[in-house]
Amino acid sequence: MLASSSSTSFLQHPLPLALSSKHQPLAKPYFLRFRTHKTVAAACSAATETGQAQRPHLNFPVDQMASAASLYEVLGIPMSASCHEIKTAYRRLARMCHPDVVAINQKEASANDFKKIHAAYSTLSDPVKRACYDREIYGNQRRPYGSSPLSSAAAAAAMAGFPGRTRRNWETDQCW
Amino acid sequence: MAEPAYTVASDGETTGEEKSSSAFPEIAIGIDIGTSQCSVAAWNGSQVELLKNTRNQKMMRSYVTFKDDAPSGGVSNQHTHELEMLSGASIFNMKRLIGRVDTDPVVHASKSLPFLVQTLDIGVRPFIAALVNNVWRSTTPEEVLAIFLVELRAMAEIALKRPIRNVVLTIPVSFSRFQVTRIERACAMAGLHVLRLMPEPTAVALLYAQQQQQTIHENMGSGYEKIALIFNMGAGYSDVAVSATAGGVSQIKALAGSAIGGEDMLQNMMRHLLPDSEIIFSNHGINEIKSMGLLRVATQDAIHKLSFETSVQIDVDLGNGLKICKVVNQEEFQEVNREVFEKCESLIIQCLRDAKIEPDDVTDIIAVGGCSFIPKIKNLIMTTCKRQELYKGINPMEAAVCGAALEGAVASGINDPFGSLDLLTIQVTPLAIGIQADGNNFVPIIPRNTTMPARRELAFTTVHDNQTEALIVVYEGEGKKVEENHLLGYFKLVGIPPAPKGVPDINVCMDIDASDVLRVLAGVVVPGSQQPAIPVMEVRMPTVDDGHGWCAEALHRTFGSRLNLVTVQKKMQQ
Repeated sequence: MLASSSSTSFLQHPLPLALSSKHQPLAKPYFLRFRTHKTVAAACSAATETGQAQRPHLNFPVDQMASAASLYEVLGIPMSASCHEIKTAYRRLARMCHPDVVAINQKEASANDFKKIHAAYSTLSDPVKRACYDREIYGNQRRPYGSSPLSSAAAAAAMAGFPGRTRRNWETDQCW
Repeated sequence: MAEPAYTVASDGETTGEEKSSSAFPEIAIGIDIGTSQCSVAAWNGSQVELLKNTRNQKMMRSYVTFKDDAPSGGVSNQHTHELEMLSGASIFNMKRLIGRVDTDPVVHASKSLPFLVQTLDIGVRPFIAALVNNVWRSTTPEEVLAIFLVELRAMAEIALKRPIRNVVLTIPVSFSRFQVTRIERACAMAGLHVLRLMPEPTAVALLYAQQQQQTIHENMGSGYEKIALIFNMGAGYSDVAVSATAGGVSQIKALAGSAIGGEDMLQNMMRHLLPDSEIIFSNHGINEIKSMGLLRVATQDAIHKLSFETSVQIDVDLGNGLKICKVVNQEEFQEVNREVFEKCESLIIQCLRDAKIEPDDVTDIIAVGGCSFIPKIKNLIMTTCKRQELYKGINPMEAAVCGAALEGAVASGINDPFGSLDLLTIQVTPLAIGIQADGNNFVPIIPRNTTMPARRELAFTTVHDNQTEALIVVYEGEGKKVEENHLLGYFKLVGIPPAPKGVPDINVCMDIDASDVLRVLAGVVVPGSQQPAIPVMEVRMPTVDDGHGWCAEALHRTFGSRLNLVTVQKKMQQ
């Protein structure tokens, strides 16, 4: 709805400026603290639910994306994880990292951790968003199609014929 | 009982910082302040226990009676007859009135209550007064609530034999952040510190999560997720929550709520029995108040009876030659309250849709609150959820307060050797929070049902060439237009570098932190620059105190569209 459409418009933003670099220095220290963590950026950009203005982080150079921890790593699960395993991992991490369960002086750090975990969960627990995300990381890692287990096999099949940047645009159009 | 030590004159606000400042050695108690009834519960070391007052009651009527000497509430005091509460000297339904302005329909509906609710319809707080010795003595919902909370606190201190400071309160889903600050102020006036606030159905969800956790050994599929739909309807509010529960974690998927409740049904019935009751009672004379009280009691009794019987005979002499003698049946009651029931149904549908849950996927349906005894309510919940029966393991009147007490124990860091307190609630935002943009549209930045803590941002730009200032007006609610939503605050962004309209990139970020404190940040970037053009503004909300409608109007009158913003999307369309 609004959230997603607004982020679409962000992509179409006529300004020539690179969006990701533009946002980073915007608000210190808040934006910075939030942004510098690569996992966060990766998680947020893929979490389509969040939409708004997070999308620009997809414009990270490919190798930078690849070096960032994947959403699967955030939740500590294999890429073949079932929906049930994703939910279980999310709950297990929530029990450890939610600000309500940590000591008072760790609340802020844990809030950031939890946002990261939740972003990973909200992407991976939604089959459509997960497929998008899988295509994305597969594209970046340029892995051969056959080697992927389960869900990503479907994703890889879906993106056959859309190499490189073309694929990215196609994926963007479909998901937003 | 000790003399109440409330400090009604104090203007001292509970500061949010306090919320997260120190460790809490004592166990926080749970309080459910209902529109009509109130209860207190505490963790006793092995389970949650409802506390009783000196008259051995667990549920106490929520009202405060003003007298010559000192006011007294429904905890310590008991009227020999319901009518005494309706003499004009008692203020009740404060939960419906707190934090509302005089243009609010809920405030207008409260004008038929026996005490005085006066409105000027300009968007300021209503004038509320109790009749003491033929004098209308003014008060505020916060003050009434504070007096009541002082009694509850004294009662809990006697029952638990220790001083009480920390509390977990349940609030309706539809409460705005401004209303929450009013509740916190009332608590501060009563010397209580709000450790956490829980939307009522999420407290029920936590209790359900604990029950599921305890029965884990009995059923084999232990780790499996259970989806619960919780419908809570009391005298003042209706709330719905959909939660996913497993392993003691209650993850709230969606919330929906509205200020619709038993009070609305009562008023509809009163109008049905005496169509011009509002005109007759509008002048609030002594006799009228008495008649109004008689009608209210008779109608209330009739509604209660209709929960068990198909029809009821109402026979009441209101004095002044007004007599009501009528038989009312179920169908009539349902027809009179059709809109109320339709609203309940739409809340359930909306909540399921927001949670992306099909009725068939719901494991248990839990109906709680006083109105859950009404047959029509039970039916509509079961029909909407395509189910034959409701969950039976929860006491509908005690569920919310028990959940609050559990949360109190969890939040106080209490460990239970049997794992009964191995619980966590993952909350979501009950209402969208956004700013005014694209004319007088409300543009949400944090949508409703966003998992908390949360941080979201959205890009805006200027509407005029060389616009150097922008007014950021923050609202909370679900309406498409700003005037349908609740004003939380505003600030001006100044020093935007002059540029053609649509060029400056104004980024507005909203952050709800671990302590549920909302901060709004706004910054400006001009193309070609890597640095923010001006220092970023960070404002804690809500900032607006009273007089919201009035305030929004003043902003509009003074600034018009001069300092407006548009979303970047809107700009693309132009």
